[in-house]
Amino acid sequence: MKKLLLTALLSTLSAASAATLVFGGNGEPVSLESGNITDGISILVQRQIYDTLVDFKPGSTDLAPGLATSWKANANNTAWTFTLRKGVRFHDGTPMNADAIVFNLSRWWDKSHPYGFRDQGRTFEIVGELLGGYKGDATAVIKNIVKVNDTTVRIDLNKPSSVLPNVMAAGYFGIASPTAIKKEGAKYGTPASKPVGTGPFIFQSWRTGDRVTLLPNKLYWGEKAKVDQLVIRNIKDASQRLNELKAGTIDFANDLTPDSLRSVQADKNLVAVKRPSFNVGFVSMNNRNQYLKNQSVRQAISMAINKKAIVEGFWNGLGVSNASFVPPVMSWANSSKVPADYKFDPAAAKKMLADAGYPNGFSIDLWYMPVSRPYFPTPKPIAEAIAADLSAIGIKVNLKTQDWAKYLEDRNKEPGFDMYMIGWTGDYGDPDNFYGAYYGANASDDINWNPANVETLLQQGRAAATQEAKAKVYSQLHEITYNAAYRIPMVHSNPLAAARSYVKGWAPSPLGSEPFNTITVTGKK
Amino acid sequence: MGSYLIRRLLRTVLVMLGISLVVFVFVRSIPGDPAVAMLGERATPEAAAALREQLGLNKPWFFNPANPMDAQYPKYMGALLQGDLGSGIKSNIPVWDDLKARFPATAELSVAALLFALLVGMPAGILAALRRNSVWDNLATTISLVGVSMPVFWLGLLLSYFFAVKLGWLPPSARLGSEVNLEPLTGFYVLDGLLRGQPAAAWDALRHLILPAIALGSIPLAIIARITRSSMLDVLGQDYVRTARAKGLTGRAVTFKHALRNALLPVVTVIGLQAGALLGGAVLTETIFSWPGIGSWVYDAISQRDYPIIQGGVIFAALIVSLANLIVDLSYAALDPRIQYS
Repeated sequence: MKKLLLTALLSTLSAASAATLVFGGNGEPVSLESGNITDGISILVQRQIYDTLVDFKPGSTDLAPGLATSWKANANNTAWTFTLRKGVRFHDGTPMNADAIVFNLSRWWDKSHPYGFRDQGRTFEIVGELLGGYKGDATAVIKNIVKVNDTTVRIDLNKPSSVLPNVMAAGYFGIASPTAIKKEGAKYGTPASKPVGTGPFIFQSWRTGDRVTLLPNKLYWGEKAKVDQLVIRNIKDASQRLNELKAGTIDFANDLTPDSLRSVQADKNLVAVKRPSFNVGFVSMNNRNQYLKNQSVRQAISMAINKKAIVEGFWNGLGVSNASFVPPVMSWANSSKVPADYKFDPAAAKKMLADAGYPNGFSIDLWYMPVSRPYFPTPKPIAEAIAADLSAIGIKVNLKTQDWAKYLEDRNKEPGFDMYMIGWTGDYGDPDNFYGAYYGANASDDINWNPANVETLLQQGRAAATQEAKAKVYSQLHEITYNAAYRIPMVHSNPLAAARSYVKGWAPSPLGSEPFNTITVTGKK
Repeated sequence: MGSYLIRRLLRTVLVMLGISLVVFVFVRSIPGDPAVAMLGERATPEAAAALREQLGLNKPWFFNPANPMDAQYPKYMGALLQGDLGSGIKSNIPVWDDLKARFPATAELSVAALLFALLVGMPAGILAALRRNSVWDNLATTISLVGVSMPVFWLGLLLSYFFAVKLGWLPPSARLGSEVNLEPLTGFYVLDGLLRGQPAAAWDALRHLILPAIALGSIPLAIIARITRSSMLDVLGQDYVRTARAKGLTGRAVTFKHALRNALLPVVTVIGLQAGALLGGAVLTETIFSWPGIGSWVYDAISQRDYPIIQGGVIFAALIVSLANLIVDLSYAALDPRIQYS
């Protein structure tokens, strides 16, 4: 019997060698179909299977060659030409070429594409979001997608854009095998299908609700994976991810709560990993409110909140507070005229409030999120701290919250919230991705403030060809938005990750996920 | 008996139709809409409106004057009557595929939790009744009180931390170790391990099952222990028990042959009711223990306003609860010969 058990044990474990890398994901992928996802864990898994046309340098938001070895715009940034890497094949053996790129981009952008499966529920909403709309839309950035030759693709634009390569590098837009999509049909990307890319790992299986298992791509064009198997598990609860790390049942994990830092540091088997910050948590103020429409009141509120103390208290040192709407990695876009940090000065704030006609303060609603996000991991206590700071200058804050879906909906419905907490995690390394999302003409309608000069600057920023030219534009935007004080940046946080001490070669990207082909687990027992 | 069964099954079908209508209306009446939930922080009014149109959520619920069939309910019912529960709005995965994949996980966990609750709760209740007001009685009462009042998510995390992290005896979460390969057959992994000739995998699955089963079974255990105790106390005071004792039967024979069988009827009723409670409790337990069942899936769908998944999940859960109660009703007849269905 003992012999039988031993044989069975060996057979069970035979497929799993010592070099299995196990990642604790914060959920299950929604889909493994590229272009049709927005959630972080889907992007993380897809980054292993697919390559994007343009890539990011490890641990950075700077662009690097991906499936395209180079890219070039015409003189006025209205057409981008991508030169493709030669000799790359999809995991199914079919060639990655201009036809494949055009097929992928077209099915996302063209609503009538026969393989877009829109009649079966596909929406590709991220394309509308990041590229202004779909084929034929008045607002769409892309005008046409052209195969120039087998290794060259040109994307013609309706309006100048210098950020197209950055958008193409975003994790949403992995290039999939057209053959696999045609073969699998509308089930492509579901657990019943086999997603096929050119990435460092090959899809093996997706056990619903549990895990995705990937194998190394031995023919990968870039740095080959150093493990025999990659398992990405669904561990939704952050405390449980920490338990799994401590128990040694997973090798590394993302999105631990800031208060786990000490526990991770106290465990000699674990290494705390601070992911570079690429987000902003902020408080928005609504122009429709009788008090908040007064600029002095908004500035007084900004001065009355002790942001540094709040960040130290609630993020455990995993974040910085400054006066910038863009994360520190893009500080080149900030204005030197704007102070590095808001001045915390309750006395001056109280005087400013009195000068504005409110010596006795007033009462106002502050809505806090019912969910945890890296930019606001514990929204309620943070809201309480803000309320306490504001009460010191005579503003009585009524704390409110509601279900997340309703929260997101009601902030944009007139009259909206007075003040509310929200944030943003970037998709790619350009300030447009931050300012455009919350100050653009198509942005959220929560503050009722869309001045024409802001939109003009945003358009100029998108068209600017060099970082120098962009810096000029965005520094103006920084000054305007800082003085207007409709959105008060509270924090740029470093999401906490952790790994077992034998995990080497992990270069966490500010964007939240990266390919795991660089990781080794030598010494794992 | 046969006609009773047919009547009950027909009634179940009617209940399911009623529930399908109720859940259709309810999910759409909850504030917050799927397009906004899907877009998250990106949700601008324009983007949400465009997505709503793409998803067909801008169409009338019941009747479209321009095209009567081009409304949400006729489409939903038309598909449902053909056995099509639709697909997840976000994932595009057919709801039925997800149910098929996830239900065995919830069922295995629920059965294990119920077994744990029965195997511990019933003896504890019997012991408490037989040794009334003793230390055993007080202990059982205290444990059941703690079991009922302790939040499942807290108990789950505590169990996981103590037994997995501190002691290293059991795995913290999931159904199988990351390095164990087991091809599902029935979806019940312990059973599958045995059927596939992989006893080590079965053992691994069993080890993963223990902590979530204890967490999920804690409330039913407490309820079963209390009901068993009071039911046993009631029966032990009956004349026929006194008669049995007077006839010189041993204490064991009186307890297990005469008293327990009669005391079981209310316990069985409670077990039937617990089928629904277990599905409800599975929401938290599955989330804490990364258990890939239907509880955590439907919970996520509710927060995302994923209508097809909520509808499919609720209809399926209602069916399971209905069938569990039918089985309980039928088991009355087996336990008590005086009960006959016609």
